[in-house]
Amino acid sequence: MKGGSAGMKQKSKWLLLLLLLLVVGLVGCNTNEKITTSATPDNEEKPKTEEVSLTIGSWRTEDVAKYEKVIALFNEQHPDIHVSFNPTKNTEYNTVLNTALQAGEGPDIFHLRPYAAGLKLAEAGYVEKINGLNGLNVFPEEALKASRDDQGNQYGVPINLSSTQFFYNKKIFKDNNLEIPTTWDEFMALNDQLLEKGITPIAMGTKEGWLLSLLHGIVGPAVYGGNDFYQAVLGGEKDFTDAKFIESIQVMNDLKKYFPANSEGLGMDDIRTLFALEDAAMFPLGSWEIPVVLEMNPDLDLGYFPIPSKEGNKTVTTWVDGSFAINANSKNKEAAKVFLEFLTTKEFGELFVKEFSMISAIPGITSDDVLLNDISHSTANEATPYMWVTNFTGGDPTTKSLLESELQGMYLGQVTPEEVATKIQENAKTWFTPFQK
Amino acid sequence: MREYTASSVKKRKSRAGWTIHLFPIPALIVYGLFVLYPIIAALSYSFFEWKGMARGDFIGFQNFVTLFTTEPYGSMFWNAFKHNVLYFVVQMIVMNGLAFFLAFIIYQKVKGAEFFKAAFFLPRLLSVIVVGFLWKLILNPNFGTLNVILEKLGLETLQKAWLGDPKTALIAIILVNCWFGLGFGVLIFLAGFQGIPSELVEAAKLDGAKGFTLLRTIYLPLMVPSIMIMGILTFIQSFEAFELVYAMQGSMGEPYYSTDTLAVFFYRLAFGSSTASGTTAIGLGSALATVLFLFILVCTTLFLRFANKKNVQM
Amino acid sequence: MKQGAIWVRPFYYLVVFTVATISLYPVLLMILSSFKKSVDIYKNPLGLPTSFSLDTYRTLLSKIPFTTYFLNSLFVSIVSVVLIVVVCSLASFYIARFKFSWNHALFFIFLLGMMIPIKLGIVPLFILMRDLGLINSLWSLILMNTATGIPLSMLILTGFFKTMPYELEEAARIDGAGNLRVLWHVMLPLMRPALGTVVIINFIAAWNDFFFPLIFITEKMKRTIPVGMMSLFGEHSADWGSLFAGLTLASLPMILLFLIASKQFMEGLTAGAIK
Repeated sequence: MKGGSAGMKQKSKWLLLLLLLLVVGLVGCNTNEKITTSATPDNEEKPKTEEVSLTIGSWRTEDVAKYEKVIALFNEQHPDIHVSFNPTKNTEYNTVLNTALQAGEGPDIFHLRPYAAGLKLAEAGYVEKINGLNGLNVFPEEALKASRDDQGNQYGVPINLSSTQFFYNKKIFKDNNLEIPTTWDEFMALNDQLLEKGITPIAMGTKEGWLLSLLHGIVGPAVYGGNDFYQAVLGGEKDFTDAKFIESIQVMNDLKKYFPANSEGLGMDDIRTLFALEDAAMFPLGSWEIPVVLEMNPDLDLGYFPIPSKEGNKTVTTWVDGSFAINANSKNKEAAKVFLEFLTTKEFGELFVKEFSMISAIPGITSDDVLLNDISHSTANEATPYMWVTNFTGGDPTTKSLLESELQGMYLGQVTPEEVATKIQENAKTWFTPFQK
Repeated sequence: MREYTASSVKKRKSRAGWTIHLFPIPALIVYGLFVLYPIIAALSYSFFEWKGMARGDFIGFQNFVTLFTTEPYGSMFWNAFKHNVLYFVVQMIVMNGLAFFLAFIIYQKVKGAEFFKAAFFLPRLLSVIVVGFLWKLILNPNFGTLNVILEKLGLETLQKAWLGDPKTALIAIILVNCWFGLGFGVLIFLAGFQGIPSELVEAAKLDGAKGFTLLRTIYLPLMVPSIMIMGILTFIQSFEAFELVYAMQGSMGEPYYSTDTLAVFFYRLAFGSSTASGTTAIGLGSALATVLFLFILVCTTLFLRFANKKNVQM
Repeated sequence: MKQGAIWVRPFYYLVVFTVATISLYPVLLMILSSFKKSVDIYKNPLGLPTSFSLDTYRTLLSKIPFTTYFLNSLFVSIVSVVLIVVVCSLASFYIARFKFSWNHALFFIFLLGMMIPIKLGIVPLFILMRDLGLINSLWSLILMNTATGIPLSMLILTGFFKTMPYELEEAARIDGAGNLRVLWHVMLPLMRPALGTVVIINFIAAWNDFFFPLIFITEKMKRTIPVGMMSLFGEHSADWGSLFAGLTLASLPMILLFLIASKQFMEGLTAGAIK
C-alpha cells in the first residue's frame, strides 16, 4: 500500500476539477432553461393572449431551414401561431414517434408515413380525423388515398409526390451516339451497347434492400403490364404467381450484369457517387435525388426517361411520400388545423416546389426547374403506382420488406425468381384481402 | 480472496451496525425504477395479443409458440442465434486472445506502454454510429481503404464486397467489434497481471520456469478471475449484439439476413424496420426478448456456479 | 522473461505496433476525411487532403449551438458518472464485504440489467419520465445513464472489493471508524484502478448515448452532442466531408478528455498492484 499523502492530494485535485466542471455544466444547463422558457411562452399560464405554440415532428432533418421559410410565410397570415419544426433522424423517427404517441404525448402535427404504415397509427387512435378540412378538395383522389382509411376517413394533408424513373447522363449518351429508348427491346439493347463500350450501364447496388423494391417498382410495371396488372391484382383476378409477374422478377435478375462491379456491396451512397462522377450512364432512382446528385457534381448533364414497356407504353412510378397529420392528443387542434389548411394553398405549393425541389401534391404547381417540371408532367400523364408502397406495406413482415430480402437472396444466388414470387404470394395471401377470395 | 475466521466476520457485523443496510438502497432505487420496472412491464407484453400498437387480450404463451413454430420467425430465430454463437466464439478467440497477449506484452514493460495502452483503448471512445460510418467506408468495395491496399499489394484476387457478400459480412462486423472492444480487454487483463504477487513469479523463475511454462503454471491460473470477467462480459455482449449490426447493415441484418442477430431481430419486431414501411409486432418482440433474457440468465448462472465450484473468486 | 530468446522483444514491439496502427488508423481517417471534398473521399481514399481549410467546420458550427450541446453532454456525463460511482461504491461495498444471506441474490439482481435490451422498456420508461416531469430535462438522461451503468459497475467494483485485504478494514474499525469512514478513507483510495475503469467506461457510455436523448429530448437546446450532430445529416444527403467533420466534432471532446485524463487513470491501473 503506497497511497500516502501524494495520492490523497492528487485525488482531491481531481475531485475539485470534477466539482468545477459540474458547476460549469449546471450553469450552462440553467441558462438554457431560461432561454427556452422565454422563447416559447406557455399558453396555459396566459390564457388571455391568443398565442398558440405548435410543434411539428418529421423525419426530414435536412429540411429545417426550408421549413423555417414555410413557417415564416404561414406567420404572415397567422402571426399568433408559433410553429417549431422539430425533426428526428429518419431511421429512428418511427421509434421516437411511436413511443411518444403510445404515452399520449408527441408533437401537435407530425409527418405521417404514407399508406399502411401511417394508417396503423390512425387505427390505434393516435391521429385526428380531418374530414372536410378546407382545401382538401384541391388534391386528386390518388394523393388523398395515402392517408385515408377504408372507411373513407381522411387523416393527412399530402405534401409531395415522389416519382422513380431512370435518370441518365446526357453527355455519355451523346458521346456514344445513344438515344433514349422508346421500346423495351431498345432499352435492353442500350444496356448491351453501353456494356460493350466499357461503360457501366446502370448505377445500382444490392446491399440495401429498399433499393431493390424501388428498382422493381420502376422496371416491374414495364414487364408485368403496368396499370392493367395492378388493377387485376387489386380486384383479386391476378396474383404474384402470374407468369408475367415472375418474368418481372426474372428481368431484375437479368439486369444484374449491367450493374457496376461488386454491386452486392454497394449501397445508396456508392451508386449515387458512381453516377454523379459520371462512372455510370443510368441511375434508376427517385425525384428527390436530383438536388443531391447535382450538389455532388454541378456540371452533370442530367436527364430522365420513363421506362418503355413491353406493351408499348411508358411509365414513371409514383406515390405520395408524406402527409402532415394532427396528433389526436394535441391540445392545440384548432391551430393545427389552421396550419394544415395552409398546407393546401397554392402559396405553400409554390414555395414548396421552389425551396424543396420536389413535386408538390397540389396539381398544377409548376417549377422553374425544367427537369423537375418534366417529371412532374410525367407523373400526371404516365404514372403507375409504386404498388409495393401504396398497397403492400401490410403483413408481418410486410410484403414489401419480404420482397426486398428475397430479391437480395436472388441476387446472391440463393433463391430463384420463381421462389421469390411464391414467397411473396404466400405472404400477401395472409393479409391482402383480394387474394383471400 | 483471503480466508477469514468466523469470529472476525461476527465482529465486523456487530461493528457495522444497522446503518450498513442503507448502503445498497440508493443503487436499488435508481436501478429498480429505471431498469427493473420498465423491463418487467415490457416483458409482460409478451403475454398479450397486439394489433399494431394497441394491446389486445391476454393470450398466455401464444406469442412464444408463434415465435418458434410460425415461419419466417422460427428460421429467423435460429439463423440469428447461430450468428450470436459465432459472435461469441470469434470475440473470445480473437478479441480476448489478442487482448490477453497484448496485456502480457505491456506487463513485460515494453517502452511506450502508456502510448500503446491509450492507442488500443482509443476506438472504445467513439460512438458506435461513428464506428459504423468509418468501417463502412474502409470496407467499401470500390472506394474503401482495404481493397485499395490489397490492390497496391497486388492482391486484387482477395478484393471483395466485404459487407455485401454473405460469406464475409458477419465476420467483418464481428472483427470490427473486436477492434472496438480490444482496449477494454487489455485494461482488464493488465489489471489482472498487475494483481499477481511478484513474489510468486520470482519464486517460479528461481525454480527455472520460463516462457510458456511460466505462463501456464503461474500466470494463467492466477488470471482466471479476469478471464472469467471478460468471458461473462463477452458472452452477454455477444448475445446482445445490436448497435454495430444496426449501424452497418440496418435492421434487416443485410444482406439476406446474413448478419442478423437476436437483438436486431428483436428490434425489428418491436419497433419495425427502420424504413418507412415498418410494422411492429410488440408481442412477438417481447417474447423474443424474454427468451433471450432467460437464455443469458441460465448460461450466466451455470457459468458462475461452475466458477464457484472451481473456487474462483468473482 | 528477460532471459528469453533474442527475437522475443522485437516480436513484442512488432505486435503492439501493428495493433496500435490498426487501432488508430480509422480515427485518423475520420479526421483526414473531414478536410476532403466528397469526391476526393471516393476518388482518392488513401490520399491526404489537398488543403486544411476549416471552412467545413465553420459552416457546421454555425448551424448548431455547439457550446450548448457540449455543456449539456458534459453535464450529463459528469453527473451520471459521479452518481454511478457513489451508489455503486456503497452497494458493492455492502455486497462484497459482508456476508448477509441475501447478498448473492442482490448481486444477481443487479446483474440482470445487463442481460436484456433496455430498449424493450422504452414505452413504460417514457410514461415514467413524463409523470416525473423529466421529459426534455437533462435529468432524464442522467437517471437513465446511472441506472443502465449500474450492472457493469457493480460487477467490476464488487470483484475488486473482494480482493481487498480484510486486515486494513479491521484495523480501521478497531480505531473506531464507522462504515462510511472505512469505505471512504480505507477502501476507496485503494480502489483507484477499478474506479478509474468504472469512470472511463461510464463516461464514454453517457457521452455517446444516442437512444435516450432521441426519445426524451425534443427541445433543440437540450440536445447532447451525438444527437445534435446527427440531426444535421438527413435521409438523402451526400456531403461526406461535412459528415466526417461532424463525426470528428462529436468524437473529439471525448478523445481530448481521455488524453488529458488517461495518464491519471492508466497510472491508476498500472500502479494498482494491490498486494
